[in-house]
Amino acid sequence: MMEFLNFYLVPGVVLGCIYALGAIGISLTFGILRFSNFAHGDTMTLGVYITLSLVQVSGLHPLAVAPVAMLLTTGLVLGMDLAFFKPFRKSPTIMLVIASFGLMLMIRSMIQFFWGVQLHALRIGIEKMAFFGPFAILPRHIMIVGAAVVLMMAVHLMLTRTKIGKAMRATSDNPELAALTGIDTELVIRATWAMGASLAVAAGVFLGLDTHVETMMGFKLLLPMFAAAILGGIGRPYGAVAGGLVIGIVEELSSYPWIGETPLLSPGYKAGVAFAIMVAMLIWKPQGLFRGRQF
Amino acid sequence: MEQYYGYFIYALSLLTMGGIYSVLALGLNVQWGFTGLFNAGIAGFFAVGAYTQALLTTPIYRDHLGGYNWPIPLAMLAAMVLSAVVAYAVAKICIRLRSDYLAIATIGIAEIVRLIFKNEIWATNGPRGVSQIPKAFEGLPQPWNTLAFLGMVLTIVALIYLALERARTAPWGRVMTAIRENETAAAAAGKNIEGFRLESFVIGSALMGLGGALMAQYLKQIDPNVSDPLTATFLVFVMLIVGGSANNRGAVLGAMLMWTVWSSTEILTSRLPDEFAIRSAYVRVFLIGLILQFILQKRPQGILPETRPKPNPRHRGDNSPVKNSGRTTE
Amino acid sequence: MKRLMTAAAIAALVAAPAMAGDIKVGSVAGVTGPIAELVAPIVAGRNLAAEDVNAQGGLLNGDRMVLMLADSQCDPKAGVDAGQKVVNVEQVVAVIGASCSGATNGMVQSVTIPAGIMSISDSATAPSVTDLADNDLVFRTAPSDAYQGAALAKLAWDAGFKALAVTYSNDDYNAGIAGVFAASFEGMGGKVTANQVHEPNKASYRSEIQTLSGGGAEGLALFAYYGGSGITIIRNSLETGAFGKFMAADGMFDVSVIEQIGAENLVGNLMITQSASDPENTSYQIFAKAFEKTGMDPAAPYASHGYDATFLVALAIEKAGAADRSKLSAALREVANAPGEIIRPGEWAKAKALIAAGKDINYEGASGAVDFDANGDVAGFYSVNRPGDDGKYVMEFLR
Repeated sequence: MMEFLNFYLVPGVVLGCIYALGAIGISLTFGILRFSNFAHGDTMTLGVYITLSLVQVSGLHPLAVAPVAMLLTTGLVLGMDLAFFKPFRKSPTIMLVIASFGLMLMIRSMIQFFWGVQLHALRIGIEKMAFFGPFAILPRHIMIVGAAVVLMMAVHLMLTRTKIGKAMRATSDNPELAALTGIDTELVIRATWAMGASLAVAAGVFLGLDTHVETMMGFKLLLPMFAAAILGGIGRPYGAVAGGLVIGIVEELSSYPWIGETPLLSPGYKAGVAFAIMVAMLIWKPQGLFRGRQF
Repeated sequence: MEQYYGYFIYALSLLTMGGIYSVLALGLNVQWGFTGLFNAGIAGFFAVGAYTQALLTTPIYRDHLGGYNWPIPLAMLAAMVLSAVVAYAVAKICIRLRSDYLAIATIGIAEIVRLIFKNEIWATNGPRGVSQIPKAFEGLPQPWNTLAFLGMVLTIVALIYLALERARTAPWGRVMTAIRENETAAAAAGKNIEGFRLESFVIGSALMGLGGALMAQYLKQIDPNVSDPLTATFLVFVMLIVGGSANNRGAVLGAMLMWTVWSSTEILTSRLPDEFAIRSAYVRVFLIGLILQFILQKRPQGILPETRPKPNPRHRGDNSPVKNSGRTTE
Repeated sequence: MKRLMTAAAIAALVAAPAMAGDIKVGSVAGVTGPIAELVAPIVAGRNLAAEDVNAQGGLLNGDRMVLMLADSQCDPKAGVDAGQKVVNVEQVVAVIGASCSGATNGMVQSVTIPAGIMSISDSATAPSVTDLADNDLVFRTAPSDAYQGAALAKLAWDAGFKALAVTYSNDDYNAGIAGVFAASFEGMGGKVTANQVHEPNKASYRSEIQTLSGGGAEGLALFAYYGGSGITIIRNSLETGAFGKFMAADGMFDVSVIEQIGAENLVGNLMITQSASDPENTSYQIFAKAFEKTGMDPAAPYASHGYDATFLVALAIEKAGAADRSKLSAALREVANAPGEIIRPGEWAKAKALIAAGKDINYEGASGAVDFDANGDVAGFYSVNRPGDDGKYVMEFLR
């Protein structure tokens, strides 16, 4: 039982937090800008590499420089929006999706060009697990989950207490009505990009701290993050959190030997777990668990 | 002299790959150009076709299924059929989804297909792939074998093109366009939207399976890396968009053009000094993405815009007062 | 940066790419793609050999050996396309490459064998390459996986391990070695307590590791690329305490493993085999010394094989007496195999003189004796590498 908790459930929660932070951005983009942004994963990678460079230049801890990286990444993302997404504000969604496909490759190839393809580390060495009675958890996992919770609370506060947050929610629920009441759509859009990019950078830095930094890291997470956003319901950031946690936990649990000694599902298919959940949700309940927008 | 012969053979290879990609682009055109179905899972159907061709035709080998020794044309047919069957199953599930949901779903399904081919090692030899795939006309001496294979590919492209052109101008094609442009009106006119979409998806995927079968023969080797999303899905979209979607000629043009650009730009960059040559590989990908953005913004209809079929008087319904000669009847 | 690129591009287009008096050899490698970071040192190894040849008199009558790089992306589609470009557009006289077995198989079956061109790969290790009907045109300086798995199994057995868990990354290279390892280890009497595939590039393998650890395994046999999943698995294992001892094959061989995990955690606990030649053997030492000036680690997997493949192509051209595609494969066997006077890496001038005098030579390379059997394969010799306290690997040749 303890083994189940410590080595399957907890890693699943940690992974789920990383998925969740990324999925919030996807869910918001989907809800407010109305398209699935395939470049989100590589935005995350970009943020991590910027963090890496800042760490190398300043010698500070990655979490200390992360806010600066968030600012820089947001700036770049806003520039990309101006160049590649703004021309399609009034066009069918499909143009935006294709543009984001193209942008995904452009971002990744530029990262590979400037930083090269070899591995980097945000943190060296290993940590021993900390024990609290029968529970065992890594200190950095406590940090990741803790920081993720703080960020999610910040998102919650922003969406409910601030003016821009309420404007974002209004635009997500009913864009025509929101525009009619005088909400500045472009401002809402910029805020959406800023929030999505910053959360993606955070997710990426946590992932980098937990594993390492390489150029495909964001893309590898893209589909599970889409799955999480769809699972939670499009345009529902809280749903995205729940979706992320579910996907992360289910992925880790799929390697558990439920029956006998070997995993129920060959670990080679682990990557397919998120996809399968996603496809199942799309067929069975496309509006997601939390009843988001259904298009 | 040898240099010119070399250029000639290279040009043949460009045409062959361009032709195979044309088959894929034409398949995508049926689904997306005509019917508006955003199938981002091309790689999956491509893989199904390629592995079917490979496993049915290769001789017995210790590491994967084999020894059936089917004749090549029959295997190509089987590849189309199997892709169509998988497409039917996928479409039954996904066909009602809105475009970007369909994109995500089809990507997910293509990834699952790839994982299956990668993990069912008893059947496919997993990541090590299938080698020594028989290729049509390979018994002939050089360069006749290359020319014959190219001839076969181009003939197939021509046949598909003619068939699709016929379909486009026929009522079937026009219903597709109607569904794409104004689904409610088409439904109001009594058309079975889901049925048509299903047909379109299945036919397009069968073509993609055929493309996979041709590729398996041309390379004589396939493994799960062959159906990688960049070069098997994204590149086909770029080809269709650049060439002109909803235009069959545009699909072929886009395929030939973009493959030539993709392949030949490397000849230039590999002549740079080595530190640049390696990094330039990334610049190539960047440029393809940039070209796509440029076309999307400045010329979204592509090089060859969509051609609408002119209404053919002979195909009007029975209630039309106008007959062939243009005379009205009572 | 952009202006520099444009200038370089214009220069490349305007300047003649290779002057008359150059002999072109194709260098096909997976520059982009899943093993890009592993390919960079291999390409550097190839380039070093070409530099050595050109610095000591060049080929034949003083012609320069020029390597034409083409990207095979570890994908048969790109491998075939790269082959087409170097063979037909650049008119190379032989091809070195490709990097992955799939890309190599595609390239040789579709392009080089029909064109009658010799090819020699420095890192394609799948057994399927041996089985190709190749008119004696396909060679490799990298030994087939069939050997390394067995060598590692023997190493593990001799080190006293009786029960091991196995996990392997699901790619052509690691799946192959893992299979041979498990069979060999069990053949010696050892017990494989668990044998699981894993998909590379995931963020966490804790659950897989936990599942592997039940069953009384004394250590973990890990077949993966260090970047794709290897480092993560070792880290996860050490942190959860599931495994303390690890054995791995050369996909794991990189100093970043020690750097990221920490030498203190790995000393005495990690053994990595790699294809190697006797380090007391001067051939490797000569190569290592020269390679250090590139700034990369000479022990990087297959870097020395890349050097040997390229140097051998040069020797074959010299022996054949002309840049003639049809004569090279026979010449290759003559210069690579015994009998003959020993030639080591970097000894180009000496080799040239001997060939001109009509004498037989036998190249003993940085990666091994490089004697080709009837199929164009080489035998496998391996070293075991263990992390030392100084953060570097200590190599011991396995005899």
